[in-house]
Amino acid sequence: MISIPNIYKGNYILLSIPALILILLSAYFIFITPQIKMGVDFNGGMLISLSLDNQVDPVSLQDALKNEGYDASVKVFDTAVGLKAEIEIPQGENIIFADNLKNNFDELLEETASLEAISAMDESYVPEYKIKRAELDKTANELFAIAGISNDSAQIENLNVLRKTFLSAYSKVYKDYETTVSKTIQQYASYSSISIQSVSPRLSTHFIDSAVNVVIIAAILSTVLVFFFFRNIVPSFAVMLGAFCDIVLALGAMAFFQIPLTLPSFAALLLLIGYSLDTDILLTMRMLKRKGDPKEKAFDAMKTGITMTFTGIIAFLVLFILSIMTNIPTYYEISAVALAGLFGDLLATWGINAVILLKYLEKKEKDVKQNG
Amino acid sequence: MDNWKKTITSKKGIILLVTFLLFVLSIYFYGRYAGIFLMFSLLVFGALSFFWKEREIKILTLVCMVVLAVINIGINPMKFGIDFSGGTRIPVILEHPVDSATMEELVDTIKKRASVLGLSEVKVSAIGDSEINIEVPSDNQEQILFIEEVLSKQGVYEGIVDGKVAIIGEDILPGSVQPLAAQYLSGSADWGVSFSITSKSAKYFSEVVYGKANYPLYMFLDRPKNAIIILSYDELSITAQKEHSIDDLVDACNDALKHENNDLKLYLLEEIDINSSLVPYDNKTKALISEDSPDWLVNYLSENGFIITFINKEAISPSFTQGATLPSIIEWDGVGLLSAPRLSKSITEGSISTYYSISGPAQGEGAQKTKDAQENVKRITSVLKGGALPVKITLGSKTVLPPQLGMEFLRLSLIGIAASLLIISIMIGIRYMKKKLIIPVVIISISELIILISILGSFTIDLAAMAGIIAAIGVGVDAQIVITDEILKKQSIELQEKLENAFKIIKINVIVAIVAMLPLLFSGMVEIIGFSISTILGALLGYLLSRPAYAAIVRDIAEH
Repeated sequence: MISIPNIYKGNYILLSIPALILILLSAYFIFITPQIKMGVDFNGGMLISLSLDNQVDPVSLQDALKNEGYDASVKVFDTAVGLKAEIEIPQGENIIFADNLKNNFDELLEETASLEAISAMDESYVPEYKIKRAELDKTANELFAIAGISNDSAQIENLNVLRKTFLSAYSKVYKDYETTVSKTIQQYASYSSISIQSVSPRLSTHFIDSAVNVVIIAAILSTVLVFFFFRNIVPSFAVMLGAFCDIVLALGAMAFFQIPLTLPSFAALLLLIGYSLDTDILLTMRMLKRKGDPKEKAFDAMKTGITMTFTGIIAFLVLFILSIMTNIPTYYEISAVALAGLFGDLLATWGINAVILLKYLEKKEKDVKQNG
Repeated sequence: MDNWKKTITSKKGIILLVTFLLFVLSIYFYGRYAGIFLMFSLLVFGALSFFWKEREIKILTLVCMVVLAVINIGINPMKFGIDFSGGTRIPVILEHPVDSATMEELVDTIKKRASVLGLSEVKVSAIGDSEINIEVPSDNQEQILFIEEVLSKQGVYEGIVDGKVAIIGEDILPGSVQPLAAQYLSGSADWGVSFSITSKSAKYFSEVVYGKANYPLYMFLDRPKNAIIILSYDELSITAQKEHSIDDLVDACNDALKHENNDLKLYLLEEIDINSSLVPYDNKTKALISEDSPDWLVNYLSENGFIITFINKEAISPSFTQGATLPSIIEWDGVGLLSAPRLSKSITEGSISTYYSISGPAQGEGAQKTKDAQENVKRITSVLKGGALPVKITLGSKTVLPPQLGMEFLRLSLIGIAASLLIISIMIGIRYMKKKLIIPVVIISISELIILISILGSFTIDLAAMAGIIAAIGVGVDAQIVITDEILKKQSIELQEKLENAFKIIKINVIVAIVAMLPLLFSGMVEIIGFSISTILGALLGYLLSRPAYAAIVRDIAEH
């Protein structure tokens, strides 16, 4: 066994200082600058991955795209599977506009269709139908204008045909946008394969909604569980605080290193809740449920806990190296966030949670002595 | 050694062996459900390991599980997501969450339309209550565009009477299709759907159906054009009545396949003369054949220049009416024939109407009958609306991956797994400076890994699941560290108590870790669900099997 001096002997409150400083710094990174970067999943937009044939200067490609009107960010990687480029482009105005028009159109179409059916039976509904139909035509014509199609909606009498025409115009807007982007890229880089991941505004809203729900439910469930297991306010609170600080540190690192918040990095954050609770629980169990000198117990728990955290760090470090070799974003986002969180866990558990518990036990001992 | 002999020949040992053999047989004969069987066996062996205190049993249960996992990897091919095998993934987002029945219907509709269009290798799966995943093992741009088109557009509806197109989808007013109220149902009808058609088409319809009382109106959705279909005698007669001859059945089929300007020709497998050649109409003519067709047929057709389209077993056979003197077809999914109501006399006498209804009897009694009636209404409504899905959908972010790249990813990921195992073992070695400890840690970790890969591979290993597997190696060792530290403590308490202390901590850890990931599992976020599954499985596996086994092994070491 390797022997290390017990860091909890002496003024252990000082141990919380590095953690507190980093938490404050993290809060600064998260809320003030540079802030957390939203990935394409949550922000909407396009993520284009290229397998390049030869080296491209990312800055000049980015400038070229900016000149064409795309607010793109370009990264080039030299990976074990060849040269790769990643280009991120925020959602185009036309796309957002077309999406809104489609939502309106879908609603109006339903109303118009039922009015059409009723007025076929009862002529007194015809005027009402005509008004709705005019509204529908207006929406459709707006989209046709964006798509660059010369159709006039009012000329298309049959609603089924109108719907078809509208849908193909809608997908034309998307396709046109994708083609112009890829054409522009083609001018400045030669590549062997291209994959375009495009997330519509609707879809990104959907992802945000689901993510928020998942976080809330996971937080509530784990809080309830922790309180159930310990049935003691201060230690339970300390455990939850430890996990919370850990997440803040991980988010801080995401902001500082500009690791985007995407579905995979979101999954890693959830994993961190469980992972950081692990060491917090180990510490609390050892401190509360066993006899002996609190400082010794804390130190003992730390030895076990740090070994645990380091095995996790090794696994995610391997994943991180893999992600750099292959440029697989899923690997990179999960491993980078998990690594940040695991280092954060070292500080949060042994600098904050342990300190609170030690203080709590000392105070309890004092109370017992005074009362006794 | 004596202990081992005693355990293996004991009642418990025999029960364990029998259970193990049963699971081996299950995964051998029901390979499709191997993943489910493995998960179930994990629970069974976990329970045995929990209730039976002998340490030999605890180790044996783990051994059984590992051997089972290895057998599964050997006989059932592991499935990899398109990230590793190459292909295209299109997530479909529903406008609002739906109940499981609607979800089933949606997945079914998409599958049906995909298979009629010859895309039977497309994988359609429901994720949660608001998302559907479509995976195509191909990065063929044309095919992908085709699928996107199929999904985002309505199907093409054709109503055919006696070989003439009487009505097409565009003629039906989309807002007018609705269930018929009970008081308007006549005669033996239990359900009905009414709809209106445009006045232009009304005149044409009345001309086509004139004098055709009691003819079937064959309702097609996406009827294949420029195609032939080949059936074996068995496929043809699967739903037919015994007394009907093959010739009668063929006549019934031809009646349904008749079309004024593009007949779908039916050939019988047994009557194909391999020495003469079957000539396609042009270089785009499709041959619709069963996915079970013999190889010679496939070769013969492609040599003759047909484009081959495989149709599901269930869809290739026509469904015939029951109890009639002459057979007639009511449904034939393989060619897109979804219903064949009969024309009532009143509409075939020349009067022009824009309002029609389709009605029919329902099968079964009581609640069953009501349900069947509702299903008929749903089906007909969907057909009349051009196969429109019951919920609006949005196509999600499409991912395309070339197969060579996927293989490379897989290779590197496997190296990654090996590397992290190796480094963690070295670290444990340095931390404890005891060789005897490293070996069990490594063995247990490898066992966990094998079981995890075998279970996940029975479903699908995608990028997120692979990341979860690598993470599970790091997390899996944690509990072993807790146990080791407790056992090595220089406290004067009993070993049993030390182990109980360790298990208390591990239990809470595992529960909390699982609970934190559970909401993600049910969130319906397809992209990362694999990660939560592998993390949860990893935790569960460790808690139920590997940790007790590890404690049993290490206890031996600590005592000696």
